[in-house]
Formats: sequence, C-alpha cells, structure tokens
Amino acid sequence: MSFLIDKDTRLIVQGITGREGRFHAEQMLAYDTKVVAGVTPGKGGSEVLGVPVYNTVLEAKEKQQANATVLFVPPKFLYGAAYEAIMSGMPLVITIAEGTPVHDMLKLHHLAKEKGVTLIGPNSFGVISPGKAKAGFMAHHIFNPGNVGIMSRSATNCYETVFLMKKAGFGQSTVVGVGGDMIPGSTFVDLLPRFQADEQTEIIIMIGEIGGSEEELAAAYIKEKVTKPVVALIAGKNAPKGTSMGHAGAIVSPDGEGSAESKESALTAAGVHVAESTQDIVRILKKLA
Amino acid sequence: MNLLEYMARDVFDAYDIPSTSGFVASTVDELKNLAPGLTYPMVIKAQVQTGGRGKAGGVKFPENPDEFVEMGKSILGMSIKGLKVEKVFCYPKVDIDREMYLSFTLDRKTKLPVMIFSPEGGVEINEIAEKNPEKLVKQLIPAGSALDDFYIRYAVDKTGLEAQYVDEFATICKKLYDAFIKHDCMLAEINPLIVDPDGHLLALDSKVDIDDNALYRHPETLPFKDEMTSDEWVREARSFDFLFIPIKDEGNIAVISNGSGMIMSTIDLISKNGMDVTCALDLGGGATAERIQEALRIVASRENVDTIFINIFGGITRCDEIARGIEGALAKLSDVRLMVRLEGTNKDVGLEHLRSFGGNIRIVDGLDEGVAALAEEVKA
Repeated sequence: MSFLIDKDTRLIVQGITGREGRFHAEQMLAYDTKVVAGVTPGKGGSEVLGVPVYNTVLEAKEKQQANATVLFVPPKFLYGAAYEAIMSGMPLVITIAEGTPVHDMLKLHHLAKEKGVTLIGPNSFGVISPGKAKAGFMAHHIFNPGNVGIMSRSATNCYETVFLMKKAGFGQSTVVGVGGDMIPGSTFVDLLPRFQADEQTEIIIMIGEIGGSEEELAAAYIKEKVTKPVVALIAGKNAPKGTSMGHAGAIVSPDGEGSAESKESALTAAGVHVAESTQDIVRILKKLA
Repeated sequence: MNLLEYMARDVFDAYDIPSTSGFVASTVDELKNLAPGLTYPMVIKAQVQTGGRGKAGGVKFPENPDEFVEMGKSILGMSIKGLKVEKVFCYPKVDIDREMYLSFTLDRKTKLPVMIFSPEGGVEINEIAEKNPEKLVKQLIPAGSALDDFYIRYAVDKTGLEAQYVDEFATICKKLYDAFIKHDCMLAEINPLIVDPDGHLLALDSKVDIDDNALYRHPETLPFKDEMTSDEWVREARSFDFLFIPIKDEGNIAVISNGSGMIMSTIDLISKNGMDVTCALDLGGGATAERIQEALRIVASRENVDTIFINIFGGITRCDEIARGIEGALAKLSDVRLMVRLEGTNKDVGLEHLRSFGGNIRIVDGLDEGVAALAEEVKA
C-alpha cells in the first residue's frame, strides 16, 4: 500500500499541451500511471497522446473522475493553476516549477490547508510510488518498490540516495519531493503522519538542507509521534551564511538561523539517525534492515 | 534582491511613505552642480550593499556647499568592505527627537507575514530585543488579508506608543504593509522611523528586499540586478544561466555539479575530508556541451582554482554532453586538473569519450571515491 498516489490514482496533467507537460505525460503513461486528462485553458476538446484535454480542472474532474493533478506550468502561472485545482476540489495537487514567487506560495500553502488539500512542491520532482505510479519528472528507472519512504528537499540528493539504495538492494514505498522553495505546499511535519501510518513504509528517510526550521519542527514531531526509524541527511553544512545555495529556501540567515548544526542536534536529540552523506544513509539502512 | 537605499526609497515613494526627499549622484560634477541650491546641513550616504557604512566613513554631514563637494568626492572614491562606492544618496539632515523601528518580513516557521515594531531603539533594535523585549512586538498577519486596524491597535497598546503618534503610525504601517505585499518583499523595513522636531513620523532609512522569483512583476528593478552583484564571476555565470557561488577565500578546489542539493553535499563531503572548496557552479538541468565548456572556462578563470571536481548525476543532463564540453574546454585548462564523476544518462558513452582524449583528467566512480581521490591528489 502506498500513499498519495498508486495504481488507482486518476491523474490530470495541467499544462499537458506544453513541451515539458507532453514529454512527461508520455513518461508517466509509460510507467503505467493512469493519466486520464489534460487541462490547458483554450485547448479543450483536443487530445494529447490519446488523453482528452479540457479547458478547466472542474470539467476534467467531472468527466474523468480525476482525483489528483500534477502541474507542468511555468512559475508565472503556477498560482493560477494551483488555485484552480484547489478550488475545484482536487484532493492532491502536485507542483513542479522552479522559481515561483514566495508570496504566491504563502497564499497557496494556507489555502490548501484550509481546504484540506494536499499540496506538494513546488521546485520538486513530484511524487513516485515505485512500481505503481508517478506524478512528476523523476528518472523512474532508478526507483524500486520496497519498504523505505523518502521525503526530500533536493532532487539530486534524493536521486543519489535512491541510486545507492538500488545498488545495495533497497527499494522505496513512496517518495515525495518536498521541494527546495522557502514555502513548500507540504512540509516534513505535514508528511510524517502519512509515512508513519503507511503499512508499506518501515523506515523513513528525510533529506533536508540548510535554511528555515522544518527539520527542527520535524524533530519535535518525530520525538512525540513517530515510532518508525528515521534517517536524516542535512546538506549545506559548509555553505556561507547569507548566501542562497541555489534552492531559494537553502539559505542560512546572517544571524545563523537555519544552520545545519541546529538541525542535526535537534534530530539527534529526537533519536533520528543523522547521516553524514548519501553513502552514509545506505550504511545506516543496512544496520537498520 | 536586496535594494540599495536609494532604490528602496523609490519603492517607499511609490507607496507614499513619508520620508526626507533625496537624490542620488554618481559623479563629482553632479555634486558640484547641485551644491549651491541645497539646504544645509546635508547628509551624504555611500550606496553599497553592506552594513557599517557609518563606521567606515561612508556617511557624512556637510555644513556648506564646499564641504558637500569635498565630502561627496571622498565617499565616491572609497571602497567599503571591498565594495566600490559608485553612487551616493543625499538629503537634507533632519533633527531626530526619537528613533523607532518598523518592519514586515516573512516568518518561515508559520509561513506568514510578521510585523515587527518597537517605539524605541531604531538602529539599536537588536539591543532592545535583548534588554527590553516588552518594547518589541512581533505580530503574525494571516495570509491574503489586509492589515486590519486591530493589529495596529494591538501593537500600539502592547508597546505603549504615545497617543499623539498613533494616527501617523497607523498610516505608515498600512502603507508599508501594502508595499510589502504588492512589491513581493522578503523584507520591508524602516530603521529608523523617526519623530522630527515638529512631531511627525518620517522614514529616515529604507530597506527593501524583493523576492528574486518575483522580479518579473517589478520590471523597473530588473536593470539593477547586475549592478547589485559585485562578483564578476557570478555575473558572467548568470549570463549563461548558471549559478556561481563563491564559498570562501581559502582553498583551490572548485565544484561543478547539476543541482543545488548535489552541490551542497559535494562541498560538505570535501570539507569533511579536510579540504577547502573555494567556489561552486551549478549547471542546472540539461546543459549542452557548449555551455559546459563555458562553465569550465568561467570556473578555471577564478584566481586560486587549481582543481575542478565535476560531479554529475545526469537525468536531463547527458554524460556524453559533459564529456564533449570537457574536451572543448581542455585547451584553456592547461594549469588546472580535473576530477570527473559521471553517473546517469549516457554514462558509458560519456566515459568512453572522456578516455579518448588526453589531458589532466582523473575519472572516478561515485561521490565517495571521487572525494577520496581528490584528497590523494590535493595532499600529494
């Protein structure tokens, strides 16, 4: 059993008529994901890869009983597209784009919470339940079904970990790209209860990085509520203060808030296994398995 | 993008936030022309993106036209913390009866705007926060809502701001919040917010940090983006859509990779093994051979770089493109050694090509092995 998406997920691709949307819709279909509709305003009535395209999320939902949507839209249009998806009652909205204005995400983060919608991303590769379905652009061939759940702020560190896990014979239950932005739709704390409740997940990997306080908040939650073993990596220990390391969210403020030390000590105190590198994550997994 | 004071003042003006009227100048001739018509004493402030301008001699108070030109000339010629002063911002000096502090910023924990106000302190706000925390109010504002009056009343009551200032304070609060939201600010700050001798509130300094991802909504700020970047490698890398990150002055190792997380974990692992990474370049996704060639040229031209660790986990980025990019750049990299790790799309084709030409290149398999090999080379 995976959570967020699985074989029964009926997925909309918003922006399916664009270059990226079309390419990745094809990849998702090749992974046997049920892509049931595309949405592009003004392109309703057409078809892409045999998938019907609608003008609105409401119509796509009504005609195809869709229950999740992934947004391949540029950052400028992310707010409008995600707002439409949330207000149309989609229970799961997955956003990809890098470069979304932070004030847009501020509004969407709180709107999704208020409406009970799970909003994932942006600046994310999406979500994959290996062997079942994927909603995003991750290179799916490196993922294997298994019992390790992963949530990651970084795509590349997640790929590296998954690649090393494959070599060592480990697979994943559900992998979520939390994304590298300052305000994500869902935080580690939002996702931890889902991993804890998921029967397939036996071990949780959390790939964090400098900036913000999501890892500290996760540590507090884990201490109280999570009984499964958690392995964490914090990237950016040697990043200079006040410099964004590429991800908009990966910045230690000049007064030191968001530092790797603060995160690692909170996690260690909560009983989390703190890894020093992606390779070290796999070493810890071997000990736990 | 953290705006310079004079640019931030333009934003304040657009929202009608009361401040002293000033002007910006970049040449001594401009100062000479303007000097006779000004009201003295004046204030001249260096426009550079760093704190401690006053201590460095970048803020002066001329009493007459001769001093104005002379002091302006000295500031225009100086560097503060390595940043050359290209512009000065000037305005008539105002007598200060009192300094307050007001800002709006984002609280990352709650993901909400937060208003920070203190009726005392001004530039000494950090001291107030430590010694008189009851004089400081931090109030979260719900997403998507206006700054309702009761938030302002709450801040006034909590800090004991005197009744005669409340009306002007409320107006400034609303205008600054309006600027914060509509101008996509990470921070909008008035420090100090002063009371002048007539009892009016004025913004004496202006600080505005606009979200880089929202600059397209404020096209008037776009021309400043390069002006605000002092590091020429950062500027040049940006022109190719790369992110160049100066890390520290020590060390001779540079890291090139394809993704923010990978850059950070590569630097972490190298540092953990007792070596210093001086700079890094993020290729982003899908770089072509031509662009990789440019990336190598830019990094190799940084003075102290003698070793470049190229760590690629290719998804959209193809390893054969990386190999061809290295081949193309090789002629210009004679005094730099390369350590190359390729994984992912077209790895085998890339590695085969990499082995087909000479050069000072060491191929490694995996990040851990790469860092171990790096230690061997650097310490040899």
